Amino acid sequence: MNLSLALQIQNVSPDVNLLLILPELIVCTAGVIVMMVDAFARPRQRWMTGGLALVGLVAAMAASFWMWSGWAGPREAFHGMIVLDELRLGFTFIALLVSALTVLVSMVWVEGENLPAGEFHSLLLFATSGMMLMASGGDLVIIFLGLEILSIATYVMAGFRRTDLRSNESSLKYFILGSFSSAFLLYGIALVYGATATRTGLAGTTNIAEIANRLDVSLYPPLLFAGAAMMLVGFGFKIATAPFHVWTPDVYEGAPTPVTAFMAAGPKAAGFASFLRVFVFGFPFVATVASVQGQIHAAWLGALVVLAIITMTIGNVGAIVQNNVKRMLAYSSIAHAGYALVGFVAAGATGDPVFKSEALSSVAFYMLTYAVMNLGAFAVVTLIARSGDRRTDFEDYNGIGFQSPGLAFTLSLFMLSLLGLPLTAGFMGKIMVFRAALNAGYYSLVVIAVLNTAISAYYYLRLIIVMFFRERTTSWSAPRVPASVIVVLIITVLGVFYLGLFPNRVLDAFKTRPPAVMATR
Amino acid sequence: MTRFDLRDYLPVLLMFVVAAGFAVTNILLTQLVGQRKQTRTKLMPYECGKDPVGSARERFSVKFYLIAMIFILFDIEVIFLVPWAVVFKTLAGPEYGLRNLVYTEMMVFVILLLAGYIYVVKKGAFDWGERARHEAEAEARALEDLRKKELAARRAA
Repeated sequence: MNLSLALQIQNVSPDVNLLLILPELIVCTAGVIVMMVDAFARPRQRWMTGGLALVGLVAAMAASFWMWSGWAGPREAFHGMIVLDELRLGFTFIALLVSALTVLVSMVWVEGENLPAGEFHSLLLFATSGMMLMASGGDLVIIFLGLEILSIATYVMAGFRRTDLRSNESSLKYFILGSFSSAFLLYGIALVYGATATRTGLAGTTNIAEIANRLDVSLYPPLLFAGAAMMLVGFGFKIATAPFHVWTPDVYEGAPTPVTAFMAAGPKAAGFASFLRVFVFGFPFVATVASVQGQIHAAWLGALVVLAIITMTIGNVGAIVQNNVKRMLAYSSIAHAGYALVGFVAAGATGDPVFKSEALSSVAFYMLTYAVMNLGAFAVVTLIARSGDRRTDFEDYNGIGFQSPGLAFTLSLFMLSLLGLPLTAGFMGKIMVFRAALNAGYYSLVVIAVLNTAISAYYYLRLIIVMFFRERTTSWSAPRVPASVIVVLIITVLGVFYLGLFPNRVLDAFKTRPPAVMATR
Repeated sequence: MTRFDLRDYLPVLLMFVVAAGFAVTNILLTQLVGQRKQTRTKLMPYECGKDPVGSARERFSVKFYLIAMIFILFDIEVIFLVPWAVVFKTLAGPEYGLRNLVYTEMMVFVILLLAGYIYVVKKGAFDWGERARHEAEAEARALEDLRKKELAARRAA
């Protein structure tokens, strides 16, 4: 009887809108179908799973494009659990792109390594649906659910080469630290939920927009601070910001290379999506510093500035001393998280909807450029590493420049783009992020970021020098490049130039059209 | 508040009686009706699937863990059915009128469970036959060889 009484008190009209989660539904369904096909297909038909996964991802992409251009319905569903705005759509696009490219990279690799392809592809699809939920969740609970769907699938993928000790180590480390950070996040969510009660005996809220409304009237402001700090740590682990980055090099080095490519681009972008949504919209900017909201905003923004500086510096300095290409790229991914945090700071520092939307779109754009060049680079690294990921040291790249010019030049292009050379995507991404920070008045932060970019030239150029100007002592047989990887390389190379030369279309698409969709609630 | 009345707990007592009766009846029935084939394995003391005498540090088939995990999974998922069943009548009633939604959602959930179950069966998680065992052993040996080869290659490099 008690239960039905509770139901009567609350408003239980379910506010279902399945169209609003159409891309997520498509990806989930594709995952289940791939699983079933894998169960019934004979070993010779395993290639089908990769194709099916691609079809699902393309369909989901079409659905999200339709939501981008032709959506006229409500922009919230399930009582604000799912929201529709450009932030979500941008990161959904990144998640789908990363996943599709990973499928293409891994299609032949997974066969060559004798791994179960169907399992790999369905796990990848489930991870993708988790990433998309993290981008679309307007509620802390949905964001946590998405994070777990993503993480559990990724833990398994990191340990996919069961017989390889490094892969096992990577998976275990990722699992332990991942669950540790999930616990931090969850505890933060619980504290915020408790703190946002407005009257004794009433429940708090996990809805992000509602949290923002209740900041000043919350019953227990100190708990709010503790909760926000916990969530900051939790998200910091997930996107590998500096004090919480220690797992990254080991995990990225040990995981199979296509999985590393996915982990560095996908989950990081998804982490940024929810991190942005929770902090920029949940603890938003106010002009009056004296209020609780003002204090909490100042606190997280200050912490984030420090995090950005440490992350960039540690990532770049750490990358210098690496002798393994995957490890170097892992540190570089830490550094790139730092650059993206610069844009994050800019997005949080302003109350003006136009500037805010510009800063948000710059972070999304940065993650897109990073995903494109990173996946391209890892595709080449996968090819050169061969079966069992054996050749991933800098030495293995000695003098391959003129023996496999195609691979060497594309890899050099991605290195230059990661460095941020003009005309490439990396340059435009950095420009956008730094400009947003300059607009918000963070001059010294931008100076530090630019200095860090200069440091990063050392290790990106070092790989190019190793490839073209070192003598090779061991024999080199050029790896066979499968057609699917050629497709990936073409897409990523074109992407690097397209985003570097004509970024406006994408940037405009990532910007919020009606000013501040979230603020309407 | 109603006062305490022990008679309210009669259904619980009945439940106890039924449960005990069910157990006792079954044991008695098997003793009386069932036929007996005494084999060596059957007459051994029961020790959770391994030899009762011998080293305690032997290796288990990974299947035990798999079965345990699958059991917990389905067990927990079935628990979700209970709260659904409790509120179904209320939600389906005229007050809320959510009959179709609530019903479809649980059916989708059950179908997903079924898909998982079919996958597990097809992948041979419940296959304890001799052939499955030989296949698993062959795979383990192949993997071991592969690992040794890789180690040798790394040492040579």
